[in-house]
Amino acid sequence: MNTLEIRNLSKRFGLHKVIDNISFSVPENCVFGFIGANGAGKTTTMKMILGLLRADGGEIIVCGERVRFGATKTNRLIGYLPDVPEFYNYMRPKEYLRLCGEIVGLRDKTIKARSSELLALVGLSDVNKKIGGFSRGMKQRLGMAQALLGEPKLLICDEPTSALDPLGRKEVLNILQQIKGKTTVIFSTHILSDVERICDRVAVLHKGSIVLESAMGDLKFQHKTKAMTIEFGHEVDSDEVMNVLRENHFAPTSYETPAASIEDMFLEVAK
Amino acid sequence: MKQFIAFTKKEFHESAATFRLYILLAIFLLFGIMGPLMALLTPTILESLAGGDSGIVITMPDPTATDAWAQFFSGVVEMGMPILAIIFCGIMSNEFSRGTLVNLLTKGLKRHTIILSKFISAGILWAVSFLLAVGICYVYTAFYWDTEPMNYVLLTFGAPWLFGLFMISLLMFGGTLFGNFYGSLFTCLGAVLALMLVNVIPNVARYNPTSLTGTLSLINGTGDPSDFIRPLIICGVAIVALIVGSIAVFNRKTV
Repeated sequence: MNTLEIRNLSKRFGLHKVIDNISFSVPENCVFGFIGANGAGKTTTMKMILGLLRADGGEIIVCGERVRFGATKTNRLIGYLPDVPEFYNYMRPKEYLRLCGEIVGLRDKTIKARSSELLALVGLSDVNKKIGGFSRGMKQRLGMAQALLGEPKLLICDEPTSALDPLGRKEVLNILQQIKGKTTVIFSTHILSDVERICDRVAVLHKGSIVLESAMGDLKFQHKTKAMTIEFGHEVDSDEVMNVLRENHFAPTSYETPAASIEDMFLEVAK
Repeated sequence: MKQFIAFTKKEFHESAATFRLYILLAIFLLFGIMGPLMALLTPTILESLAGGDSGIVITMPDPTATDAWAQFFSGVVEMGMPILAIIFCGIMSNEFSRGTLVNLLTKGLKRHTIILSKFISAGILWAVSFLLAVGICYVYTAFYWDTEPMNYVLLTFGAPWLFGLFMISLLMFGGTLFGNFYGSLFTCLGAVLALMLVNVIPNVARYNPTSLTGTLSLINGTGDPSDFIRPLIICGVAIVALIVGSIAVFNRKTV
């Protein structure tokens, strides 16, 4: 069964067509990567799924129920993590989760249990300061906790890693990795390495249209590649490697020593 | 109902955490004290100004309890109500500009619950502050003067409170419509100013909600309670219309 189905969805802002007749579906328990450049229409699509924005045409179905603008009925099935989650700065994490739990209609006992469970999952168990003093990464993680509080069937994350430093990014991806298989996740991003790490399916949104939709496994084998990264277990002379390639009639147009090493270094020293 | 209680708890928590509650209580406590105090001090102040070599002699009648209430009402209406508007002007717009409602709306919180909860909690805060001011003024007045029991207590103090509630509903409507605190404040002050201006047209004052702030006439005996029935009804209808309007606007609003 598909957790989410989108059929012929369109949206325009004034004369500008932001979403142009897109259709796709997300199967149950899949981590779905929604890829696109800034301004491609990712957030617009997500806001329409949540009923926060009115669609001009088409329909959205969540777990068999149709989404309506302004109504919040289907939202009980959805957990949403906005790109920059906003909280009440004067609250502490537990107080905020209590408010969310009461709004969802959870029982007192359940709220307590779920809150400690989720705060442990996102690594905020020992944090009892006011949210106003949180870093961006901490807010993102608390956002993840509030999104998962109602045990949603569908978790929508709008660029959860884009604004974070490498450490924060890694933490958020680890959390997504942990809930994989229990909840269906839609995850929008323009960081392609993140998609490769955790997604099962991807769709690429470009100028309001879906230009590619595929399972991650198929994608890797279907498409011949123009670029690849090779890692050696020992130090090599890059000129030597280039010579071997040239001798075998491969002519690279460019090559670089991996930028990831800086990331690794950052992760190492920032531990 | 569960959602309403949860969100209302949040509203009161917010009022305390952002000091809105304490500022409101402190200011209206001050208005309660100032009424009788100003009535007592005014003759002394005037005499000291006129005294000395100026040769002007001012004879003032001894202040009475009615003077205390006159000072009280002028303080609450002329200063208290504008302060009320400033304190509550962010009631809707803060949530919009900071985007704090997104998480809650996507959890299934109903939009009309937000409006009703904010309106009712603001109304309660305003009632508590106003009652505190009235209580303090009453105690001081009874202490300094021999007071006779008041008639029409509920109307005398309920009418100005209702006008304050009308201002809160204007603030909420403006805040929901424009999404920023300028819109909220200008809607409220603009509407009140317009109502004050139309009073120059004969007979309009009989219907105008602004006359609800003039219940001093019931204390000094110059007014008739029946004068307030029409403005009370009009004010009540306007409040309901503004709240229903706020819900309608909010339902169509993109958050």
